[in-house]
Amino acid sequence: MQRDATGFLKAEYEDLVKKNFDWRIRVLQGPSSPRCKVDGKDVLMLCSNNYLNLSNHPKLIEASIKAARSHGAGSGSVRPIAGNMDLHIELEKKIAKFKRTEAALYYQTGFAANAGLIPQLVGEGDLILTDELNHGSIIDGVRLTKAERAIYPHVNMEKMEEALKNADKYRRILIITDGVFSMDGDTAPMDQIVRIADKYGAMTWVDDAHGEGVLGEGRGIGAHFHVEGKITVEMGTFSKAFGVVGGLVAGSNDLRNFALNKSRTWLLSGSAPPATAAACMAALDVVENEPEHNKRLWDNTNYFKKALKQMGYDIGNSTTPITPAMCGESAKAQALSVGLFEDGVFAFPIVFPMVARDKSRIRTMMNAGLTRADCDQALAAFEKHGRKLKIL
Amino acid sequence: MKTVGLIVNPVAGMGGRVGLKGTDGVVDEAIKRGAVPVAPEKATLMLRALREARDVYGARFLLRWKTAGGLMGERELVDAGWSLGEFEVVYRPPERSSPADTRAACEVMMGLKTDLILFCGGDGTARDIFETVGVSVPILGIPSGVKMHSGVFGLNPVIVSEIVQEFLDGRLGNALVEILDLDEELYRKGEWRVRLFGQARTPHEPNYIQAGKLMIESESDDEVKEGIAEHMLDKLGAMRDALWILGPGSTLETIGRRLGIEKTLLGVDAVFGGELVAKDADERTLLGLLERHPRAVLVLSPIGAQGFVLGRGNLQLSPAVIRKVGLDNIIITATPSKLSRTPVLRVDTGDEELDRELDGKSFFVVTGFRQVTLRAIVAEGAGRRAQGARD
Repeated sequence: MQRDATGFLKAEYEDLVKKNFDWRIRVLQGPSSPRCKVDGKDVLMLCSNNYLNLSNHPKLIEASIKAARSHGAGSGSVRPIAGNMDLHIELEKKIAKFKRTEAALYYQTGFAANAGLIPQLVGEGDLILTDELNHGSIIDGVRLTKAERAIYPHVNMEKMEEALKNADKYRRILIITDGVFSMDGDTAPMDQIVRIADKYGAMTWVDDAHGEGVLGEGRGIGAHFHVEGKITVEMGTFSKAFGVVGGLVAGSNDLRNFALNKSRTWLLSGSAPPATAAACMAALDVVENEPEHNKRLWDNTNYFKKALKQMGYDIGNSTTPITPAMCGESAKAQALSVGLFEDGVFAFPIVFPMVARDKSRIRTMMNAGLTRADCDQALAAFEKHGRKLKIL
Repeated sequence: MKTVGLIVNPVAGMGGRVGLKGTDGVVDEAIKRGAVPVAPEKATLMLRALREARDVYGARFLLRWKTAGGLMGERELVDAGWSLGEFEVVYRPPERSSPADTRAACEVMMGLKTDLILFCGGDGTARDIFETVGVSVPILGIPSGVKMHSGVFGLNPVIVSEIVQEFLDGRLGNALVEILDLDEELYRKGEWRVRLFGQARTPHEPNYIQAGKLMIESESDDEVKEGIAEHMLDKLGAMRDALWILGPGSTLETIGRRLGIEKTLLGVDAVFGGELVAKDADERTLLGLLERHPRAVLVLSPIGAQGFVLGRGNLQLSPAVIRKVGLDNIIITATPSKLSRTPVLRVDTGDEELDRELDGKSFFVVTGFRQVTLRAIVAEGAGRRAQGARD
């Protein structure tokens, strides 16, 4: 038989293009700053996750350079064998202190934390309760387990508890939720989730990727809902508000011991370069000691949200710096994004089937480094194109 | 260019308002009781919504109608504003049309290249069409009957017009859904018997799964059923000492195929030790098997549009059979798309006490590979029994 070894590559790619599902990736020329150059055009950045603009903070940059000089460019190994540097250990102690938990473990990425640890916590005979709008990396972590999974309607505590009430036949139960939902900018009620989980002896897992540096004066969703140390697994990332890269898991000493012995992603990929670990530590220091970044982020957020709303945009239920500007049908969101880019505003359209057909939107992410004048420029473009497209 | 066949059953739904539970064979009686036609109006409403969308989007609508004469489709198309050049009358019924004309018009359409058959009527019309076209062409119903248990109906005429638009855009796949109908002759004698006649194809939105951050993969209904079957193989494999009773429907048929047995589509089958021990079993056979195998598990899937897991299309699963199996040994499976159309699962076992025990009980319904969704059961029986309409 003559087998076509690679024909599917082209065929499947072309199918994505036909359906308009392919990525046409823009090129960032220079740093991810509030004003940056994308595909040769100077634009205001409204779709990065660099909420506090820490990727450009001199302390982080200096710490990276210093660590590269003192420890080299790479770690030389995986953590369990020979790549466990003093910098990694120091960083984990700082994370635990910052999160007010007993211990923490630093992963290569947030994805590695979700995909590596979720499948170790539950298995055959267990149940996972997962919010319908959870992030794709959670979905993939869940897929790797033999546990049965029940998806509950978005932040619907009544449905979540109903499932727990009927779940006697299961051995362990793990409730997993995003802290801040990345498409809508709303939050999971962690205080209620923890209270209900405790009642039924269930574990809780929050992916706080969009909450750290932002909520709870920067400490994240646990601090925001006053349940620090009460969530079984506080998972997060250094790639968003902290401005670097890497995943984290914070919780009990038992959790850390378990996680570092069982997470295959952690055990089997090389550890983070010294420069990265050092920059992460600097980021934690900055968030703790320079509250002005967080304050500016919220000032900008509140200003921008209020203005969009006054213009007549539906901004959904967002309570965070992720603000969706609803456009209705997909074509309108796409057209608005094109118009904004022409006017020097880089903001991403989110369309069906990522969101419901009539809920397509431009998702904006605020940045502490944007000035009031920057915000006004972006708002003017939103107003101009919103009217042109009859969204307003 | 897509070709859509349109068949309106002009008398569908007339029996309802004058107290008849259908119009099959009793059109004269319905008219005598003062019934007026309702289907032409509903078909026109749907066709008008579609024509208005065509006016807005223009070129996106590459559509050609094939229809039957008079009130069986031609009149409704004209009333909705479609021009004569846009449709072709391929069958002329006599002045008083009958189910035979529905079948005849369907047959003509089958001979032409038809991509979708759109009809206006109820379960009876759905059955007439299904029995002519089988699964070769998807069918979609504008709801206008007295009974609409089958899964081929859109919720209302406007929603049907939206489904047709998406179908024309090529955005829909198709899924197998049940064709159910009440045996009307038995019903008018006071006996309630909903029969499962088969499974038809209907346009269907694929199940979207998030594959990456902003990336979506779609999964067809058949793929979802394969996932359910895969998980059920694991679950059943852990209960090899039990008798497995598999109810009707295509989800269960997929499980049967994966088990390597010849499962009937419309019947109840039993498996023990990996072997098919009863095919299309009746109540007596099942009770006999349960005598020999006290440990049993019953696998079900909702039948029809209203989400009945017991009491519609699977009456072999009598109250005695269900009690012998035990309520805790029932596993319900359903595709997410089917569940999304029915907020609750229903039972109507014919045994008031059993219905009461099931009413409000929640099940983790298997909806995919290792995926479950909690659903509550609602017992439907009591109300109708009070009206004395049951045997």
